[in-house]
Amino acid sequence: MTTVTLRNLRKKFDDVVAVDGIDLDVEDGEFLVIVGPSGCGKSTTLRLLAGLESATDGRIEMDGRDVTAVEPKDRNVAMVFQNYALYPHMTGRRNITFGMKSSGDFGDEEIERRVAEAADTLDIADLLDRKPEAMSGGERQRVALGRAIVRDPDAFLMDEPLSNLDAKLRIEMRAELARLHSTLGTTTVYVTHDQTEAMTLGERVVVMNDGGIMQVDEPQRLYDFPANRFVAEFIGDPAMNMIPVDVEDGRAVHDAFEIPLPLADAGDPVAADRNGVGEESLDDGRRAVLGVRPEDFRLPDPRTDDGLPRIDATVNVREPLGDSLLLHCSIGDASCNVQAAPRTDVGAGETVSVTYDPARLHLFDAETGEAFYHSEAHVSEAERPVPASVE
Amino acid sequence: MSTREIFDSRIESGLLLLPTLVVSVVFLYYPTAMAVRTSFFDSSFGQADEFVGLENYAALVTDSAYHSSVLLSVLFAAVVVAGVMAVSLYLTFLIHEVDTGQGVYLISVIWPYALPPAVGALVFLFIAHPTLGVLTGPIEALGVDVDWFNDGPQAFVVVALAAIWKQIGYNVIFMIAAMNNVPDTLTETARLDGVSGLRRLVSVYVPIMTPTLFFLVVINTIYAFFSTFAFVDLLTSGGPSNATNILIFDLYQEGFSFFNFGVASAKSVVLFLVVGALMLVQFRVTDEYSYYGA
Repeated sequence: MTTVTLRNLRKKFDDVVAVDGIDLDVEDGEFLVIVGPSGCGKSTTLRLLAGLESATDGRIEMDGRDVTAVEPKDRNVAMVFQNYALYPHMTGRRNITFGMKSSGDFGDEEIERRVAEAADTLDIADLLDRKPEAMSGGERQRVALGRAIVRDPDAFLMDEPLSNLDAKLRIEMRAELARLHSTLGTTTVYVTHDQTEAMTLGERVVVMNDGGIMQVDEPQRLYDFPANRFVAEFIGDPAMNMIPVDVEDGRAVHDAFEIPLPLADAGDPVAADRNGVGEESLDDGRRAVLGVRPEDFRLPDPRTDDGLPRIDATVNVREPLGDSLLLHCSIGDASCNVQAAPRTDVGAGETVSVTYDPARLHLFDAETGEAFYHSEAHVSEAERPVPASVE
Repeated sequence: MSTREIFDSRIESGLLLLPTLVVSVVFLYYPTAMAVRTSFFDSSFGQADEFVGLENYAALVTDSAYHSSVLLSVLFAAVVVAGVMAVSLYLTFLIHEVDTGQGVYLISVIWPYALPPAVGALVFLFIAHPTLGVLTGPIEALGVDVDWFNDGPQAFVVVALAAIWKQIGYNVIFMIAAMNNVPDTLTETARLDGVSGLRRLVSVYVPIMTPTLFFLVVINTIYAFFSTFAFVDLLTSGGPSNATNILIFDLYQEGFSFFNFGVASAKSVVLFLVVGALMLVQFRVTDEYSYYGA
């Protein structure tokens, strides 16, 4: 069992800094997902862990042992690649056993036993005598996983292993990976650009951008308490609405609306505990960006009064998604998306009255993009409005 | 496939084909046909050709010197092809594994290929001349008596080495391209698994490179039989005592030293058939082992 520790890890390719001094602790047996857009340094980080790239600066430790300069083969990690990296001229069985046989660390009987075990775990016994060209993408990735698990490595490193699969297969394999991890309990670092994969698979998720770590947290906390604008907009689909506002007198003020920002009594231990962000500073006149997720806007039932402000929004485009209806709206000069009930009778060009969940407001600094306020920390369960049914 | 009418008239398309057709007919098909025809005649300078049927071929069948030339050529080709492939493959692998200065190594390996064969032969003569050669001293220091002007087996080795040396560049160009086409992730997987370098070459790269390697075996075979003429001519002239008298040199002498055009033509037809038969065998055998990517 293995812990992995990165300290001030840097990697420069000529003039490009791919990984810019990151610190990260991967716990023993953890499934850690690194997610980020293309070029954010997530794959480079994984390759540094594998030893396929050498670090420009910083340390990599496995179980407290400094492995920064250790050869890939001596790190006892197994890697799974996006393009499967199966040897095309070898059968499934040869692909799985080739590395073990070449390294000479295993006896023939031991190899046989392990292959049978892995084939059983992954249900690939019938693929062992086929060559990769006679396998589907999903089958190839299963064999590649088989090759990774037979060696019983200290850690699995997975570089977008599902990205070449079609959507349906990807969901199946996702569940398979989760099951595999709970069976084996091996420390796993998984890189993906797909936030759904990150959210569903990761026990913790690392969001990276521009070679730096933006936030490390459990998936739900990442969603509920994004540390900055980047995480807020990257996690969640459709993305969080971002509306520039001024903070005045405990209210978020925009040309087209004003909404009160719930604030717990000073010294409320619950608020202090639940808030993911340090000290809040709702100073008057502070320039900020108000973040509201599309599903936290709602079209209120006109018959009831929940006491919340109403915001006028003009619908530009309606996108029926089946399970919901996404309305692209303008609120003053800001554009934002509102998720409404699926069969809501609203057409393009109409003006609708929109309200919001006061517990799900986020404020980000207009300059730095750092979050400085999450309203959820200030709203107790009792104060929350019951989600209005809109039929 | 859809047929597209690119040209309005047949004349236009015919005119565009004409240069290729003319060159092929004048320099390939006509000489080939003439060589086959001449092989059935007793033909020499200053006398009319006389039809002799298969007499020239009959002479070859009973000529023991010619038999040894055939055997010698096959042996020579085998040595050259195997040598070129092995050395080129290893050099390619070394260049492939180098991180910096690949270009320098590549150029230094390829340059002999850029020389005309005759120049290459002369350069090699300066390298290996029994008394003046640059490498002769160091080799003699190892206890070998360099004397290939008189020693048949040594002469064979020297000509073969020269032929190998000249052809490495050509092979490396193709091999490095094929090796660079092997996905990096396969190399990385092998590195993570602790597969040694040489084993990676033999068990991973070579099988994936088989289509290219097969192509090179064919090209190198043709090279060994036909294009090594200059080395024999300039280094040994077929000697000493026919130790390097391979078919291509033998038939050149028959034709242009002894002016027996009929026999020389028969010899070139036989050479053509020998190489053709070898190609056929190579295609049959290597096709089974070639991996043409999925």
